[in-house]
Amino acid sequence: MADLPPYPGTPRWVKVFGIIMTIVVLLFVVAIIFGSGHGPGRHTRSGGSGGRTTLASAIDKHTPAEGGQG
Amino acid sequence: MILPPRLRRFALTAHVTASVGWLGAVVVFLVLAVVGLTSQDAQTVRGVYLVMEPAAWFALVPLAVASLITGMVQSLGTAWGLFRHYWVLFKLLLTAFATIVLLQYMETFRAMASVAADSRADLGLVRNASPLLHASAALLVLLIATVLAIYKPKGMTRYGWRKQHEQRAVSER
Repeated sequence: MADLPPYPGTPRWVKVFGIIMTIVVLLFVVAIIFGSGHGPGRHTRSGGSGGRTTLASAIDKHTPAEGGQG
Repeated sequence: MILPPRLRRFALTAHVTASVGWLGAVVVFLVLAVVGLTSQDAQTVRGVYLVMEPAAWFALVPLAVASLITGMVQSLGTAWGLFRHYWVLFKLLLTAFATIVLLQYMETFRAMASVAADSRADLGLVRNASPLLHASAALLVLLIATVLAIYKPKGMTRYGWRKQHEQRAVSER
């Protein structure tokens, strides 16, 4: 069998894309491990300044009205 | 295993349909998120966050899973392979990542619906910027995947390079 020709190398777009994807995935994993999950409290609610605690705690305390969505 | 042409076309149709459907569903969620944040009508705002959870279960999740599975079938059933070309590999990773984040996010949909269902909850508490952020990010990810699928930028993995030359050597014998 003929020898394998040398690998031409990894294209630049792959390196750039790979770095960006690695950063995004790492951020996601860090958010999962060190944050309080990927829940609604992760992001600021509208009109709020750092609504994380407010909304997260409110959801924790909330008991939906009888019959849920009805 | 290379699929016969008819089956390959069917698999491609299924993959494009699921992927385009997912993209469209995400656009609808983006619109719902904007309506939820900007509408002055209390019932509309509550309705937006109530409908997001079932809509995600019955549209987003099935379409995401279908897109992922049909994409894998499409890759494995053609000469492209799953790990031979960087664009296919990145598209797979993007789709898998978006699906995992979506499944993680289902709990958030449930929590937001729970708050919206409580008539005592203040409207400011019902409104949430999180769906807007996530729908925008999802749209970006799916558009990148679409661009990769259409432009198919060049670049073979080492595995793909080796496989290509192995096959070439076999066919030359």
